[in-house]
Amino acid sequence: MGEQEQYKALIAEIVAKQTVILGPKIAILKARNVEGLVVSDDGSVIEVKGNPDKVLQQLIDQYVELSGQIVKNALGTIFAKYPAIKQTE
Amino acid sequence: MQTIVVIVVISASLLIAGFSYLRAKSLGKEARKKEEQVRHRMYELAILKEISDRIGYSLNVEKIVDIITASLEQFIPHSAASYMLLGPGKILFKVNLRKPVSPLFIDEVRGRMLDSLSALLEKDLSRVSVEATVVGVLTDEEAAESVNSFFNIPLVIGGNVVGVLTVADSAEGLYKEEEMTLLYKIVGQASRAVTRLEEVVKTEQRKLSAMVESMADGVVMIDKDYRVLVANPSAKRIVGFLAEEKPTIFDFIDALTGVFDIKGKLEEALKTGNTLAMDNVAVGERVFHILISPVSGHGTKKTELFGGVVIFHDITYEKELEQMKEDFISMMVHELRSPLDGIKKMSEFMGVDPAIREDEKRYREYIKLIHEGSSEILELVNDLLYVAKIESGKFDVDVELADIKDIIKQRIRFFETTAKDARIELTSLFDKNAKSEIRIDPLRISQALNNLISNALKFTKPGGSVVVQVLAHKQGQSIESEAQKVGIKWFLKDKEEKLKNYPDALFIAVTDTGEGISKSNMGKLFNKFKQFESVVRSGRRGTGLGLVIAKGIIKAHGGIIGVDSEEGTGSTFYFILKS
Repeated sequence: MGEQEQYKALIAEIVAKQTVILGPKIAILKARNVEGLVVSDDGSVIEVKGNPDKVLQQLIDQYVELSGQIVKNALGTIFAKYPAIKQTE
Repeated sequence: MQTIVVIVVISASLLIAGFSYLRAKSLGKEARKKEEQVRHRMYELAILKEISDRIGYSLNVEKIVDIITASLEQFIPHSAASYMLLGPGKILFKVNLRKPVSPLFIDEVRGRMLDSLSALLEKDLSRVSVEATVVGVLTDEEAAESVNSFFNIPLVIGGNVVGVLTVADSAEGLYKEEEMTLLYKIVGQASRAVTRLEEVVKTEQRKLSAMVESMADGVVMIDKDYRVLVANPSAKRIVGFLAEEKPTIFDFIDALTGVFDIKGKLEEALKTGNTLAMDNVAVGERVFHILISPVSGHGTKKTELFGGVVIFHDITYEKELEQMKEDFISMMVHELRSPLDGIKKMSEFMGVDPAIREDEKRYREYIKLIHEGSSEILELVNDLLYVAKIESGKFDVDVELADIKDIIKQRIRFFETTAKDARIELTSLFDKNAKSEIRIDPLRISQALNNLISNALKFTKPGGSVVVQVLAHKQGQSIESEAQKVGIKWFLKDKEEKLKNYPDALFIAVTDTGEGISKSNMGKLFNKFKQFESVVRSGRRGTGLGLVIAKGIIKAHGGIIGVDSEEGTGSTFYFILKS
């Protein structure tokens, strides 16, 4: 899997997990606030434009800003599946 | 031309009207938006104030979430506002229904909330028991709508997930981002406020716990259901538990069976509201004064009973001391009575039998016995007076420049006959570097030396030796090396390191080849009660207070006194005077 694809898969898993944690509507709305991230109504990640790392950070920031550091902590298992992508502190 | 003008005017009018309409519409939208923002802000402030007021006297998360869910009606439409809180071994699930929904709707909310919590904790919660409470409007068995709009807000206190709050409705696409974000913000602020207060409370609790943990008294606190809330290490030790163990009330009942009815006394204290005291309770080899007291505090309305506390105060030492004092007095009376009785009898004989007065030999013998008896009493009384003065801090020394060598030589001469009679070699040895003139009270130092030499002679068998040695010590030098250099032999070894850094001084030591002293007995040597007791029990003459007095004299000179010994070989009693 290419780097871009890995980022897309990772971001898709994050949105899916936040959909379970926070609910679908708010999880998708917050994902759509991220510049370069295109998400469908059912929460699927359609496209990641530009720098994928920047998109990833902005996405996490959106969720952290909404409900705190705890939602970031819940992403550990997802990041473990993508060792090439580092989770920032 | 006129037609053109009319068309232009009409067109312009239509344009202006259209613009005005659009402008008005835009302004109306802006005004509504502003109004909405104000409404949101007002709601935010109101709810935060209510939470803040509530937190002022309660850190109960359940109550705080109750406030938030109860207030939601004025802010956001919903069929149900629910929360789940993680408890020990179970999850508390509370649903506040605003609209009649079916039990299936509630089940769906429950499922989504459990999924949210599981995802947050990364833990399977499917087997955890969920205790549900439904309040608000009644459920409608016929209602068929499912959950079509919802969002979950994680509840986090001190960085830990404690639960989740969910707003749900059967209508679709109901919630706007702005409304949801505001609720997250409110819950976040409430969580942070609780976290901060919990930190303060925890800090205070840690301080109190540390204090209770470090107390020498045993402390056991129970709640109203007799569950042990606190049992400090001292309390555990009393009933034979290790510090890391957690004894229950039954363990305390078992451990104290036949000694003290802990549960019965606690029941009595809790029932009557009085503190009970029990004196002289023996637990194992220790004796305790026990206090049993109810613990209550002031709640919002009336005094609330929290439980009870049992305090074990160890009075073993006080009891021992009391016993020693009693023994001391009775032994002292006995010691005084014997010579006094002798004096009384002698004087009676002399009074009633005129022949005694005419028999000079018998007369002198009786007078001698009376003199010896009264001297014995005087010595005893003097010793007691010295000890009393030392203990009250009124023991003064009259310091002057005196020759310590001369004093020692005089003392050797004084004890020469006694030593000869006991077939003990009594000698002295002076370090050539020792300054002989030092500032001391010659009379008191002589007295201290008398006590040490007479003691040494008393405990040395015939054929043995007693030697008085003087060493000039230099700060930082090894006492042992210094002694070796000048040919001094003594038992001073163990304390060498401690003494090494003693400032320049004279070490004056009396070393004997007696029976020696065990380590356990060394500590008792300078204790007046222990000394007197051992002397009386051994049947030896004297008060045994000589060492106590010597210690007082040396302390009054700013010096130190000590002893070192090898059991079966001999002992060295020494004192150090600054040179």
